[in-house]
Order: sequence, then structure tokens, then C-alpha cells
Amino acid sequence: MKGDKLLYYSLLPFAAVVIAAFILLFAVISYTSAPAIKEYGWRLFTSSAWSPSETGPKSSKYGLLAPLYGTLVSSIIAVILALPVTISTVLVIEEYAPPQTRDLIGSLIEIMAGLPTIVYGLWGLEVLAPILKVHVYSPLHQLLGFIPLFSCRPFSGYNILTAGILLAIMVLPYMVAVARDAYRSIPMTYKEAALAIGANRYEYAKIMMGMIKPGLIASALLGFGRAAGETVAVALVIGNVPLISSCLFKPGYTISSLIANQFSMAPLYPYMMNVLFTGGLILLIIGVAANSVAVIMISRSRLR
Amino acid sequence: MMDSRTIKEKAFLITIFILTLLGVTPVFYVLASVFYKGIEAFARRGLGILIKINGGILPALVGSFVLSILSTIIGVVLAFVAGLFVAEFPNSWVSKATRVASRSLLEVPTVLLGMLVYIILVVPTGHFSLLAGALALALVMLPYVMVHVEQALESVPQLYKEAGYSIGMSRAQVLFGVSVGIAKRGIASGVLMGFAKAMGETAPLLFTIGAARSSLPCSILSPGDAVPLMIFQYAQMPQEYYHDLAWAGSLVLVIAFLVVFFVVRRLVKEVRY
Repeated sequence: MKGDKLLYYSLLPFAAVVIAAFILLFAVISYTSAPAIKEYGWRLFTSSAWSPSETGPKSSKYGLLAPLYGTLVSSIIAVILALPVTISTVLVIEEYAPPQTRDLIGSLIEIMAGLPTIVYGLWGLEVLAPILKVHVYSPLHQLLGFIPLFSCRPFSGYNILTAGILLAIMVLPYMVAVARDAYRSIPMTYKEAALAIGANRYEYAKIMMGMIKPGLIASALLGFGRAAGETVAVALVIGNVPLISSCLFKPGYTISSLIANQFSMAPLYPYMMNVLFTGGLILLIIGVAANSVAVIMISRSRLR
Repeated sequence: MMDSRTIKEKAFLITIFILTLLGVTPVFYVLASVFYKGIEAFARRGLGILIKINGGILPALVGSFVLSILSTIIGVVLAFVAGLFVAEFPNSWVSKATRVASRSLLEVPTVLLGMLVYIILVVPTGHFSLLAGALALALVMLPYVMVHVEQALESVPQLYKEAGYSIGMSRAQVLFGVSVGIAKRGIASGVLMGFAKAMGETAPLLFTIGAARSSLPCSILSPGDAVPLMIFQYAQMPQEYYHDLAWAGSLVLVIAFLVVFFVVRRLVKEVRY
């Protein structure tokens, strides 16, 4: 027993460092954003003005509304696009594909998850966005221009929709991993029961998806959290204009791309650093909230 | 005539196969673009850009190399021991808190970890440094490696541990002599995955290493560059030349990632207890 205690106490400091790192993250980000919240109050979250000034806090205007809007909209687009693909991929991998194809799809998804995000960013900038503009956005605008979402002319491929599509590609592997875990937890007897009552493949899939609903919600939430925090790839394709528009072909901004673009200038302007940390605080809250709810959902989805 | 139920089933199957295909297509497209444009860039600018300091990618390569080694050392030591603790004492409240903290770190946007290190290291020392970047990257990889270490240790059968106890080994001896030995491949693959993750991250470096690319870093306390950061900044430049360097850097990064990926694949495949 004495040796146990020794082992416990010699390993303990390292575990404590992990806890301390997380607490420190919260403390530092909150502490650094406090002056901005004190100075500008709610205006930070209700305006989109961004005009820094060297002279003092009174003459500069900071608003995070447009980047917040961009973060939410691009991440929601990503989840809406990725969720049906996630469900299909899980069904194909787990039910219909022969073992070799299953391994191949699994490996491809793992490579997709591991590729550096900056590579997606460069690809989005130089390959995806120009193609989407010519082959998707322009025809979409001409055919469905009466719908507000597609009503503005796509001047370039760099807009909120492109960011959403790129994010959908990037979060897909994470969403598949979470949904696949949930699917694997369905007991065999339930599957057999569904088949025994004569369900065809469509009805069977529908029943199974109903059973792992909490898992699918968790998958969507984790995908959303990832998408909201993604920085460099989005900064390269979203256009970086603080704009709020119902049209998806307009450029936008996200909190993380705002941080990425403005951080180097921030020390020159009073309060700008603090405002960026306030943006960081919002991201932290979104990330932790999405993760916590997802964890609860996953524990609820354990059928066994 | 097919009844509506059968038609629905057929339509459903066709839809999910198309969607799955659509889901995996981008990975081919991205890889094809990187190889095509990367090779084209090397063909146009010569392999010499790999070893050129000004107008080449050597400072970024050196920086990335130093960063991945340094962050792996910091991150892996921390993650390995913390992972041992959590796997060995799963019921202690410290373990539970550590688990929650590391799972949360996993979901925290990586740009925030760069901001944290900026405040706690860059501002007090007054300058950017490779060490600051490595610390930020260590925080990024920490939760990944920890999860792998935990899973690898948890998959060690109880029987082996009991065999160790039965011959009079202490708990520490069993942990380091038996469990870690059996789980070493799983742990190694976790370390490599963390290494790959650290190598490819950009956001934590934005505010920590200083993007010094006109010379080679002389120590870990001096500012430096990294391949992902270079790609991010060169991609935004108007000149063709810098775009070529960005694609060349991407090709190097992707090849390095694929090498690590296949090594991990082999390691994991051979794990059989």
C-alpha cells in the first residue's frame, strides 16, 4: 500500500498540470477580455463597427456582431451539409460495404481527419472557391435568384457559403467517428428484431437512426464546435469583410478569422487586444458548451 | 411493377451511396491538387527552394522540425504521465478532473492556446520564440496523446497485471514493467499522431513564433517560422512565386503526414493481445 501512495503522488503533479492548463486558459482569456467588456459593454455584441484608433478607447469602435454571425452561419451550414453525408457514410461502412471497401473508406476518412487544416485552406482558396463560383454559385444565382439566400450576385468565390462548404468537408471525419461509435453500440438483438419484423433496408436504417438520435445530435454538436473554432482555413476563404447579409454569396467574417487577421496589429491600438480576447472567450464558451452537451448526449446514447 | 416500399428502398440506397461517395471525394481532390500543384511548383522553381533561405522554404522547414521535436518532448512527457495516472487511478477525483480538462482541451479552438501562450510567455519575455510556439503546440497535442495512452493502457488484459502481482511485483513495477511494455505500440502510435498534429497546426503559431523567415533561428529562444504558418501568409500574397512556395510547402507537409499515418497504421495493425 505504501508503494501505491508513492506511485500516486509521483504521477499526480503531471495530471495536475493538465487541470491547471485548462483553468489557466479560462482565467487568462477571461481576465484579458474583462477591460474590453467593461469599456464597451453590450455594444461589443450588438454592433459590427470595426474602426480602431490609436488615440484612445473613446474614438475607436469595436463590434463583434458580424464575426459572431459569420461564425454561427458558416458552422450551421457546415453541419447541415455534413450530417446527411455522415449518416450515409456510417450506414454504408457499417451495413452495406464489403470488408475491403469498408477499410478503404475508413482509411480515407482518417486521412481526411489528419490532413493539416492549412492544406484545406490553401485548396479552398486556390481550387475550391474558383470552381464553386463558376459552376455552382453563378448558375444558382441565375436559376434561384428569387430566393433571398441566393439573391446577390456572386462576385467572387470567397464568401460565407464557401466557408461553410469547406468546413463541412473538414468536420465530416469527426462527425462520422462520433456517429459510428454510437451506431456500434446498438445491440445485435435490436438489429435482429428490426429485421425479424420484416423491415426493408430503408425502414431498418430509419429505425436504427432513431435509436442513435442522441449520438447523431452529439455528432452534430461536436462538428459545430470544431467548425466554429477553425481559424486559418476559414480566414483564407470567407472574404474577411464584417458584413451581415441574408445572402450566402456575400463575404463575411468569423471570430477566429478576425483574431487571426487582426492580432498582429492589436498591440498598436488600445483595447483591441482585449476585444480580440473577448472574441476568444466567446469561442471558448461555444466550444466547451458544445462539448459538454455532446458528452451528455453520448452517455445517454449508450444503449448497452 | 414495384410497390412504393421497394421504390423507396431503392431510392434510399442510391442516395446514401451517392452521399458517401460525395463525402470521400474531397480527400482525393485535395491530395491530387497538392501533389499536382506541389510538383508543378518544384518543377518551376527548382528543388533548390528547399535549401534556400531567402525566397525559399528552408527557415520554415527548420522551424517546423524544431517545433515538432520540442513540442513532442513537452507534450508527450506530460500526456504520457498524466495518461498513466488517469488509467491507473481511474476512481480518484483528480483523475476525473484531469479527464474532463483534457477532453475539454480537445474541443478548445487551437487559436486560443496560441493566445494563452502569447499572454503567459511572449508578453513577459518581450519577444516571440520557437519555445513559445512549441509550448502552444504541446498543449494542442496533449489531449490527443493522453487519449491514446489511456486507451492503450486500458486495453491491457487484467490477467497480465495479476501475473505481475502474483510474483510479488509492486504496483509501480507492474505499471512500468508490464502494462507499459504491453501497451507500447498503442502508446507509440498515440505519440506519432500527436507529432503529426503538432506538425500541421497553424493557428497556435500565429501569435507565438513571430514568422521570422529571412534567417535561420539560432536558438529555441529566438523567433522562427513554420511550414503551415508560411503557407498561410504566402497564400495571401499577390505574387505567383509565393503561391508556388505555399504549394511546395503543402506537398512537404502532406508527404510527412502520410508517412506518419502509414507508420501508425502498421503499428496499430500489429497490436494483438
